[in-house]
Amino acid sequence: MSSSDLVRRALAYLGCRTSPDDRLVSLVGECLAEAERLAHFRAVGEVFSRRLPFLQNAPYLQFLEGCAEYALVAMTLGSEAELRVRALMKVDPARAVVLDACASALVEAEGDKWEERFRKNRTFRFCPGYGGSSVSDNAFIFEALRPERIGMQLLPSGMMAPQKSMAGIIGIGKQGTRTCSGCMAAAGCKFFREGGVCYRSEQSSS
Amino acid sequence: MLSLGTKLIIMDGGMGSELERAGLGAHDPMELNLTHPEAVRAVHAAYAAAGADIITCNSFGLNRIKYRGKYPLEELVRAAVENAQSAGREVFFDVGPTGALLAPVGTLTFEEAYEAYAEIARLTSDMVGGYIVETFSDLYEMKACLLALKEHSTKPVFATMTFDRTGRTLTGSTPEIVALTLEGLGADALGVNCSLGPEELFPIVERILAVTRVPVIVQPNRGLPVLREGRTVYDLSDDEFFTWAQRMQRAGVAILGGCCGTTPATISRLSRLAGKKVRAHRSHPQTAVCSAVKYVAFDGVRVCGERLNPTGKPKLRDAIRAGDTDYLIAEALRQEEAGADLLDLNLGVPGIDEAAAMERAVRAVQECCTLPLQLDSSDVAALERGARAYNGIPLLNSVNGEDAVMDAVFPVAKKYGAVVLGLTMDEKGVPRTARERAKIAVRIMERAAQYGIPRHKVMIDTLVLTASAQQPLVRETLGSLALVRKMGVKTALGVSNVSFGLPARPLLNRTFLAAALANGLTMPILNPMDAEMTGTVHAFRVLSCEDGGAAEYIARYGAQADAAPPQTEESLFECVLRGREKEARRLAEQETAHTPPMQVVENILVPALQKAGEGYAQGTLYLPQLLACAEAAKAAFAVVGEKLGGGGVSRGKVVLATVRGDVHDIGKNIVKVVAQSHGYEVIDLGKDVEKERVVEAVLSEQPLAVGLSALMTTTVASMEETIAALRRAGCKAKIFVGGAVLNAELAAQIGADFYTADAPAFAAALDKLQ
Repeated sequence: MSSSDLVRRALAYLGCRTSPDDRLVSLVGECLAEAERLAHFRAVGEVFSRRLPFLQNAPYLQFLEGCAEYALVAMTLGSEAELRVRALMKVDPARAVVLDACASALVEAEGDKWEERFRKNRTFRFCPGYGGSSVSDNAFIFEALRPERIGMQLLPSGMMAPQKSMAGIIGIGKQGTRTCSGCMAAAGCKFFREGGVCYRSEQSSS
Repeated sequence: MLSLGTKLIIMDGGMGSELERAGLGAHDPMELNLTHPEAVRAVHAAYAAAGADIITCNSFGLNRIKYRGKYPLEELVRAAVENAQSAGREVFFDVGPTGALLAPVGTLTFEEAYEAYAEIARLTSDMVGGYIVETFSDLYEMKACLLALKEHSTKPVFATMTFDRTGRTLTGSTPEIVALTLEGLGADALGVNCSLGPEELFPIVERILAVTRVPVIVQPNRGLPVLREGRTVYDLSDDEFFTWAQRMQRAGVAILGGCCGTTPATISRLSRLAGKKVRAHRSHPQTAVCSAVKYVAFDGVRVCGERLNPTGKPKLRDAIRAGDTDYLIAEALRQEEAGADLLDLNLGVPGIDEAAAMERAVRAVQECCTLPLQLDSSDVAALERGARAYNGIPLLNSVNGEDAVMDAVFPVAKKYGAVVLGLTMDEKGVPRTARERAKIAVRIMERAAQYGIPRHKVMIDTLVLTASAQQPLVRETLGSLALVRKMGVKTALGVSNVSFGLPARPLLNRTFLAAALANGLTMPILNPMDAEMTGTVHAFRVLSCEDGGAAEYIARYGAQADAAPPQTEESLFECVLRGREKEARRLAEQETAHTPPMQVVENILVPALQKAGEGYAQGTLYLPQLLACAEAAKAAFAVVGEKLGGGGVSRGKVVLATVRGDVHDIGKNIVKVVAQSHGYEVIDLGKDVEKERVVEAVLSEQPLAVGLSALMTTTVASMEETIAALRRAGCKAKIFVGGAVLNAELAAQIGADFYTADAPAFAAALDKLQ
C-alpha cells in the first residue's frame, strides 16, 4: 500500500469524510512516519483443511462455504506505538489520536501485505467479533497458533494486547470482500449512515 | 564444572520440534514431562550424545502465570529436572516468559512476574546447575526474572532475549540496552536466542560483544521460517548453521546452541567447536545509562534535565505531595522534546514517604518518557526503590566521600548495575582546592571498586559554589574538572548554582557553562528549555568536533532566521476554535488584562468550545482538531485561573474510569481532555479499574458526575457491576457511560443515568447538570 493510501486510511479512521485541511494532512504524514519507526510488525499463520470445532458454527460456516482450506492468522504491531500514544495523550492529545489512527492503518496494511503469502484466491480476514461471532472465539485462534511467541496476549475479556493486534480467519479458494454488516461500530458510524465505508482506501487500491 | 568464559560451551537445540517429530505435537509439551517422560528423555539423550555440554530442561512454559493445566506445577518442575538429569550432563532449568504482557500494555504487574520466577527458583535451586532465561522480548519482565532468580538462588543465570529484523526487541530495546542492563543485573552470560537465523543474528551479536565483557551466548533458529504446504518449517542446512556458528566463535561468543528447528544433528556439527578457547573480544566498557528504549553513552556532552526537582518549584512540590504523576510526566515530556539526554528525578518534599513516591514516579515517568533517569535522593531507601522499579540502568545521585554514605549506596548501585554520581565532598565539607577535590574523587572510585563497581560506572560532580559568596572557588571547580577528566572519568555539574545572588544570572550561567565544558564537563545538569544554555552546549559540540561537520548545529539554527512565527490577526475565540494553543494563551493574557476573567470564560471560551462541539457533530471538525481546540481552551483557562488565584477555574469534579477487564482507554482519555477543556476537574482512575476503586473515589471526591467506559460486550458486565456497587454505596453523582458497544438502551438496562456518544456530548451534558 502506498503512503498516500495509508494517509487516506488513517484519515478515514479519524472520521474524515470530506477533504481535511492541510494542517491535519501534514500531521497525519508526520505521525505515519513515527508509527513506522515504532512498529514491530510480526505475524503467525497456518493453513488448515480440517475445520476446527469453533468454525462449525454460523457465521463462520457461511464465511468459509466453498473453501477447501483456510488460514488462521494473528498479527501485531507491538507495543511501542501504543506506549507513545499514551504518552502523547498527556501533552498533545491531537497528535496522540492521529498516531493511534496511523498505527491502526499500518497494522492493517502490513497484515494485508503479509497475507499475500497465501493463495491469491482468498477472502478478507474475518476477525472474531464480526458478523455476530463472539470475540471470545479469539481463544481458539490463540490455542491453534500460540501467538504469545510474537508478543501477543489474549486477555480474559477477549481483547488482545498490544492493542494494535489482530486475529482472524482467511478462506482460501474463493474471494470475499469485507462488508459493514457485521461491524460492531456500524450503528453509530457516520460513514455507514451516509452509505460509505471507512476502509474505502483499501477498496480503491485493490 | 563449566568452563564459562574460557572455553566454548555447547548448549542443546530445539525441544518442541523434536517432540513434534516424535508424534507428540498435539500434547501440551510441559505435561509430556509427566505423561511421556521416556520421549522427553530420548530427546535429552540425543542432545547429550550429540555433544551438548548443558542439557536444558523441558520447562520453557513452567511458571505459574503461563502454565494453567491440570498438574501441580511442582510435580511438573521436578519431572522436567529429573528427565534432563537422566542424560548425565550439567542441567540448566529453562525459564521462559510468562506469556502475559506487563502493564500498561497488558495487566501483569512487575511484582506478579517477580513472584512467579521467585517460585521457580525456590522449587529448583537445589536440583539444577543453573538457569537459561530465554526468548524474553520485554526488558522489564527480564529484570523481574533476573532479580527473582538472583535473590533466590546462587546458581549461574544465562539470560537471552529475542530481537526482530530491526535489531530491537519487541518492546524496542537495542542490543546495547540489553547488554548493559543484563550485565548490570548480574547475568553470568547474556545474549540472544530464537528471533532469526544465525546470519541475521550476526550483526546483533557483534553489537552485544562490543559493549560487554560478560560471556556472550547465542542460540539461533535454523534459519528463517518458511511456509511450506501451510506449515512453518526451518530449512537452513546444518553446514550453513555451523559456518555461521564458527564465525560467532571467532568473534568472541562463549556459548552456542540452537533454538527453533535445530536438531541433534545441528548440535552434533556444532560440537566440533566444543572446548575451543573463547576469543577475547574488543569490548569498550562505556560510562552509559539507558531506559528500555534509549541508550545514552557519556562519550560526549550529555544534558541532564533538572526540572523534576521540587526545590523552588511550588507547583511541582504540590503535585508530588498529591501523587499527581501526570504533572511529572508532562514536565518530563517537555524536557525530552526540548532535547535533554536524560532527566534528574528528585522527590524530596518534606513529610512524604519519599521511597514510595520515588517508586511511583519512576514507574509513571518511564511508561511515557523514553529518556534514562538520574534518581536523585539523599534517602538510600528511595534510591533502592527507584532503582528496583527502573526499567534499564539508572544514574544514582549520589554518594560523597563519607564512608557511611558510600557503604549505604554502593551495594544498591552494584545490585542494580547503576552508574553512581560521586560528589567531591566529605564530612568536612567541600574542599577549597581542586587537588583536594580530586583526592576525594579517587577515594570514591577506590571504595566503589571494593564493592565491585568498575571505574566506568562512576561519575564525579566537582560541585559548583556561588560566585557571589565564594568567588575564588569557582576556578577550583573548573580545575578539579580538568583533574578528574585526566583520570578518564566522566563529570557532572549543576551549572546554574554559580549565579545565585548576582544580577543577570543567565549571562553568568552560560559563561560558566562554556568554561566548564572546555575543562571537561560531560554532563551539565540544567534546564533544557533554556535556549541560552542548550545553545551553548550545541555551540560547544561544534567547537569540540563532537558535532561532525556542524550538521546538528546547522539543522537546528540554519533556518532560524526564517522561522519567526507570524503574529496572528485572529481573536481568542478563533484561536481556541482553531486549536492554536500558544496564541490562545497569549491572547487570554491580553483579554484578561482588561476584561473580568469570568467574562472571558462565559463570552469567549465556552462559546468557542460549543462551536467546536457543533462542528464535530456536523462533521466539519474532526477528532484531532477537536482535541487541539480543547488544549487551546485549557491553556486559556489556565490563564484565567491564574488571574482568579486560588485553585483556578473548576466547574465541578468528574471521576472517569475504564472498567475492570478493559484495557482500551483512548476513548476515556479523549473524554478527559474535552471535559478538562470545559473547565471540569477530572479525577482519572485509569483503565482496568476495580469497582471498589471507583466507589472509593466517588465517596471521597463527591463529584458532579462519574463517567465509565467500556469497549467490548465482555466488559459491559463489569460496567454493570460497577454501577450497582455505586448505587449500593449511595452515589449521588450522575453516572454516565460510553464506549463502542454502548447505546442509550443498553445504558438504561445496566442502570446508568446517561449515555453519551462522544466527548463533546459528554461535556455538553455536564454543562446542563450545572
